[in-house]
Amino acid sequence: MLLPHAITLAQARSYLAALADQAPTLEASAAYERTLIDLDRLHGDESPALTTDGLTHDREILYATASSAIEALTAHGVDALGVELILAMLEDAHGLDVP
Amino acid sequence: MYGETGALMRSELATLLHIHRTQRRLGSESLNATALEERGVQIRQYRQSILTWSAEAVRAAKPLVFSVSTPVPANPFRATTDLGPVHEFARALDHTRQHSTAPLPSLDQLTTSSGNELVEHWRHAARAAALAEHDTNGAQLASRLTAAQANALVSDVAAITQALIVLDQRYTNTPGWERLAQPQRLGWAALATAIDVALERPDYTVDQTGWRPRATAIRGPAKPGILGVLQAEHNLLVRLQTTPNALSLRLVVDSQRQLSHGLAELAGPVDEVLAQGWRERTATYVRLQSQLRNLGSRLGGGGTAVAEASNAVARLRALPRETVVEPRVLGAFQTLFSRIDTRLADVVTNGIADQTLLHHVTTATLDGEAQGLVHRLREHFEPIPQPVCREIHTTIRGHLRPRQPDAAPPDAGHSRAQLHTALLPRPTQGGRDVRSL
Repeated sequence: MLLPHAITLAQARSYLAALADQAPTLEASAAYERTLIDLDRLHGDESPALTTDGLTHDREILYATASSAIEALTAHGVDALGVELILAMLEDAHGLDVP
Repeated sequence: MYGETGALMRSELATLLHIHRTQRRLGSESLNATALEERGVQIRQYRQSILTWSAEAVRAAKPLVFSVSTPVPANPFRATTDLGPVHEFARALDHTRQHSTAPLPSLDQLTTSSGNELVEHWRHAARAAALAEHDTNGAQLASRLTAAQANALVSDVAAITQALIVLDQRYTNTPGWERLAQPQRLGWAALATAIDVALERPDYTVDQTGWRPRATAIRGPAKPGILGVLQAEHNLLVRLQTTPNALSLRLVVDSQRQLSHGLAELAGPVDEVLAQGWRERTATYVRLQSQLRNLGSRLGGGGTAVAEASNAVARLRALPRETVVEPRVLGAFQTLFSRIDTRLADVVTNGIADQTLLHHVTTATLDGEAQGLVHRLREHFEPIPQPVCREIHTTIRGHLRPRQPDAAPPDAGHSRAQLHTALLPRPTQGGRDVRSL
């Protein structure tokens, strides 16, 4: 894993964790958490550590940045189908998040 | 489990103590002298089985029995010369067992019905004693029991010995019978031990110790309704015997969070206290899940555990919202939850201790100073930092491990009271027991 790939992955993980922490319902939080687990599984559990310190509390911004970070993973050689499936999971989780 | 074997022994001996006309029950009116003698010898063999278990159990438990009535020397480095009544009781039991000429019953004798009701009671008691060897004997017993549990076990043996002494006196005229060696010494030692251990409160959770059949997965098609969830949760516990890797662990933790949440809603109308406990369990798993996000591992499996966990969640989601769950099923879930919590706490604690669970490196620690255009990750994992360890241990110790110790079975005192009642002297009328059978 090259450094730009690691930084993009760390950002995607951090945004997903922040979404899971801030989700208003347990179902939405669990859905974000499963998306994060699937993202880690896609990378064989060789991901950099995440941190949610200093991230915004606006869930729409977090969702948009998480989507774009996950999409950017394809540029680093990550399987495109796997990325699409994770994006679909993220969209489903966001559907549970929106009241 | 000692609870089952011990209770069977006590209840059979209590029944035998209630039977007074033993010769008639043995068939003295219909059998010839040889056949009657054979029955007497057979009963002695069964008695030998009970004596053997009693001697072995006391010998194994006595390191944990500390007499409160024996004075201890002021100097802690000087060994006490008076070891307490339990040591004399152990010696008396050994002496009686060694001086009994009856051999131990064979497997055929233990498992084949004799056709006589009285002999059958002895056979059941002897069979329970043979099975109890699995539960209470062995060099490891002292490491498995607490002192209070050892007191309860020795108290049980003392009561059983007293019953054997009373029965020995009653069977004196049986053809082929042999009296116990030094019954007075054995009786007094048993009585002194019973009084000594009764000064401390006995702990009947000893009933839950001992051999249990190994739990296996429930195979076959999914059970209907809530039982299917219970089946998958049971199978998850069985599959967790294999240590899961970090990803599998996170998926199992996620499943427990969803199950606790879903089942708390179903349990609410039936048992609000239990439902509240499961809501707290959900919060514990939410906390643990966020603490495990940065942990990874190279070792472990857990694929089958994850499959069972997802089965449980899928079956729970398929249940209609108006499903009513019986209290018995809720109790089964509570038992499984406690065991799964304990197992997951062990997995995480052991993983941190032996460093099979590690921490993902942060991007700040990546190799940014390497020469050349291509910068690769130097390491993927590092030992878990102390603050993270502390947080995880706080969650596990404070919330995940069951707070309530195991309670004694509700009927633990029943068979003990039954045997003690049978041992009590009975009211007589004209020299005869008015309650004899």
